[in-house]
Amino acid sequence: MELRISLPEKYKKLLPAVNEEDIIYCVPFDISDEGRFITDSYVAVTKKNIYVLSEGELKETYDLNDFETIKSEPGISCGILFGVPKGGDESKAVRFAKYSSAHLTRYAYVAKGCRFLLQGKEERVESEEYEKYCPKCHRALPGTRECPHCSGKKAGLVHEMLVMVAPYRLQLLGIFALMLLAAFTTLINPEIQKHLVDDVLKNENGKMSTAMLILLVMLVMSVGIAFINLLKNYACAKLGSVISMDMRRKLYVKIQMLSLSYINDRKPGDLMNRIIRDTQRISDFMGDVFCNLFTVAIILVCDVTYMLILDRKLALLSMIFIPLSVFISIAFRHNIHRRFHMQWVKEDKISSELRDVLSGMAVVKAYGKEEEESKHFNDTADDYALTQRRNETFWAIFFPLMQFMMGVGVYLVTYFGGKGVLGGSKTPGELIQFVNYTSMMYMYVGWLSNLPRNLMNLVTSVERISDVMQQEPKIRDTKKAVDHEIKGEIEFKNVTFGYKAYEPVLENVDLKIKPGEMIGLVGSSGAGKSTLINLVMHLYDVDDGSILVDGIDIKDIKLANYHSQIGVVLQETFLFSGTILNNIRFARPEATELEVIRAAKMANAHDFICKTPDGYNTYVGEKGYNLSGGERQRIAIARAILNDPRLLILDEATASLDTESEYLIQTALDRLTAGKTTFAIAHRLSTLKNADRLVVIDGHNIAEVGTHNELMEKKGIYYGLVTAQLEMQGTPVSHEEAV
Amino acid sequence: MEDKEFDLAQMEKETEEMLKINILDEKNTEFIRTKGGFLSIKTGDTSYPRVHAVRMFPFTDPDRYISIRTTGEKSKEIGIIEDMASLSKETAALIKEQLDLRYFTPVITGIKSIKDEYGYAYFDVMTDRGECRFAIHMGGSDVVHLSETRILITDIDENRFEIPDVLKLTATERKKLDLFL
Repeated sequence: MELRISLPEKYKKLLPAVNEEDIIYCVPFDISDEGRFITDSYVAVTKKNIYVLSEGELKETYDLNDFETIKSEPGISCGILFGVPKGGDESKAVRFAKYSSAHLTRYAYVAKGCRFLLQGKEERVESEEYEKYCPKCHRALPGTRECPHCSGKKAGLVHEMLVMVAPYRLQLLGIFALMLLAAFTTLINPEIQKHLVDDVLKNENGKMSTAMLILLVMLVMSVGIAFINLLKNYACAKLGSVISMDMRRKLYVKIQMLSLSYINDRKPGDLMNRIIRDTQRISDFMGDVFCNLFTVAIILVCDVTYMLILDRKLALLSMIFIPLSVFISIAFRHNIHRRFHMQWVKEDKISSELRDVLSGMAVVKAYGKEEEESKHFNDTADDYALTQRRNETFWAIFFPLMQFMMGVGVYLVTYFGGKGVLGGSKTPGELIQFVNYTSMMYMYVGWLSNLPRNLMNLVTSVERISDVMQQEPKIRDTKKAVDHEIKGEIEFKNVTFGYKAYEPVLENVDLKIKPGEMIGLVGSSGAGKSTLINLVMHLYDVDDGSILVDGIDIKDIKLANYHSQIGVVLQETFLFSGTILNNIRFARPEATELEVIRAAKMANAHDFICKTPDGYNTYVGEKGYNLSGGERQRIAIARAILNDPRLLILDEATASLDTESEYLIQTALDRLTAGKTTFAIAHRLSTLKNADRLVVIDGHNIAEVGTHNELMEKKGIYYGLVTAQLEMQGTPVSHEEAV
Repeated sequence: MEDKEFDLAQMEKETEEMLKINILDEKNTEFIRTKGGFLSIKTGDTSYPRVHAVRMFPFTDPDRYISIRTTGEKSKEIGIIEDMASLSKETAALIKEQLDLRYFTPVITGIKSIKDEYGYAYFDVMTDRGECRFAIHMGGSDVVHLSETRILITDIDENRFEIPDVLKLTATERKKLDLFL
């Protein structure tokens, strides 16, 4: 996202003392003080000043150094940028600009940039986010950096297409040959028909044998063309699916390589759509459009040329209605699209309503709302039925009508050509041939009018795919990255991090963890416990500061090497579709059966595994054998034990389990964590009783650090949490029992 | 054990506090407009340098039940204004100004054109805040029916636009909107 938009000349003149290079940030705003839409208004920031420019004037100039902080505050589909003067008294806050959601993100970055300036930091805040609209053509961008419309004209995309199909040169050559053959056979047919009429039927010397011969040729050609088309369509569909499979595979590999931040920035399903739907579109294009593209082009060119040679006047006459026919075809398609889109929306509404009621049946019944719900559903169903009926009627009436209109040129040709036949300037065969060529022309013109839309769909899909392919993973091995055997000392040095640069989750965190120490992370939800863990796992890079592992910057350790030494047990245990054996072996596929059994025993999982019908070969996962939460958890622990990690991460590993499985898991965890540097998050504080130190995270930072007893003595946040939890359980509180 | 009792009382007090509906009016509260156009209040013994005004029923009852809250991440409710109409003209205007600062939902008064192209619908409309062009995703849930005739449109930037009564649009305008009704 651009944070430094070039000011219009007229505003530059108003700021004579400011060089263009001095402007660090310049972003537009679009709501006036009175709350009306305005254009042509900007906030410009230099090292010293903030300028507000609007309505052709320099509205305000503020001295940046008068402010304690600059903030952007989001409202409901709008936001404001304001400053709090030195001293921090919010009642003296000054508002700079109000803007709609279109600029929310931009201003969040600018506010952060201003705060950096106030702190004397040199770095300029940059935004990685994509623009929502193409700055050139103002179309909405389909989640890509480049606009498919604007970049589609560039050579780049053609090049990408060529690269995509390059490995299939031979197949393409074959398809081209088939296309040529199809075009030739289609074109020759009317010529033969002419001979049949003129030389045999209308000719007094016409012989039955000649007629039969011509008919035979026509039959062979009909069969031939069907066969050629079959071959051609088959080859195209096959090529399409091979290409899309290839793309799908490449995309999948690429997405796995990309950092979590890229994946989390996208809406869920967006990447899935790119892998499934966009590649399918390419395959569809190959099958439906590409395979006919050159056939149609060749046929049309030859068709028109031949018609012009045969009878120039009549040919030109037949073309009069082409614009009309193209127009009708496009308008009709547009209308149909709208109508059926509407039907689709209503259908969707029905199914979502059904889903609602069916899954909430217990609630509906408990409150006795059956009748109201069925009335509601009936209304929706009626509405859908009405739309559907209307659409069917429309189709039945207008489709034949449209076909008639599309072919109106043929009637014109028949009329004038017929006159020619009666006048003797034309033979009946010639007329039939001409009529055939004309209807052929109209048929393919209709098909061609679809082409721009099909092409654009293809270009958009290719753009969305290449957008992913061109991404560079943000976290990757640096050149000096090394393999490192983790001993277990982790140090946070002044670490600042946020999933979005302008929303820090952790700020200036300092923490040193000794090898083998178990750290319990405590704090309210959303405080940043999981974030801290994500940083330790190096799923994200810190924005500021550094994380040192045994004194080496985490960025300088090879990712694969680092991750292979980490064990993770999460709250929602994710089991892959596969056997228990494969799930335990996930991190170390080469482990022997005996090792797996040993790990399972240590995780208290061996006994329940033996009780399942297929033992270690029991199929689990989405459609597999149903394991309880505690059992899944113990498999995850076995997975971690087998990997024998140096660094262990437990995120709510014992949440929502019954007491017995909690005990089993707790003892399993105790075995697992012995002597390993461990980070554990738990809401149930009793789970952390073995922690060497507890770290309380609050307000983006570490609020308290210490052992359980130290923190209880301190009577701070941790003390409050512990007492609150015990109150809820109705347990009497004393320091000893709290553990 | 003494600690515990003390804490219990404290916690109960806090819970009570959260449950209490604290009605603010001009008798118990002083509403002050700051120089920068923000709202500052003084209620009881406490002064709040800057507060937020938040609608509890933005669609069904925009002028009643306004929550006055502290700023910042752990925003807490200071109290509720039950009805703006019961406030003096000046105070009501002041609250309205704060609400306008926080809420921006232009009302669509006329539709010039709606063009759908490659999965997006491009709107060119007249609103009570001036002319506006925006785009929405087709086939998503960007058009929400608040009632039979009232719709809320969210564009790709997450700006919101309201049509309070579809029936008040002209027939031609409604036809353009047909796809979303």
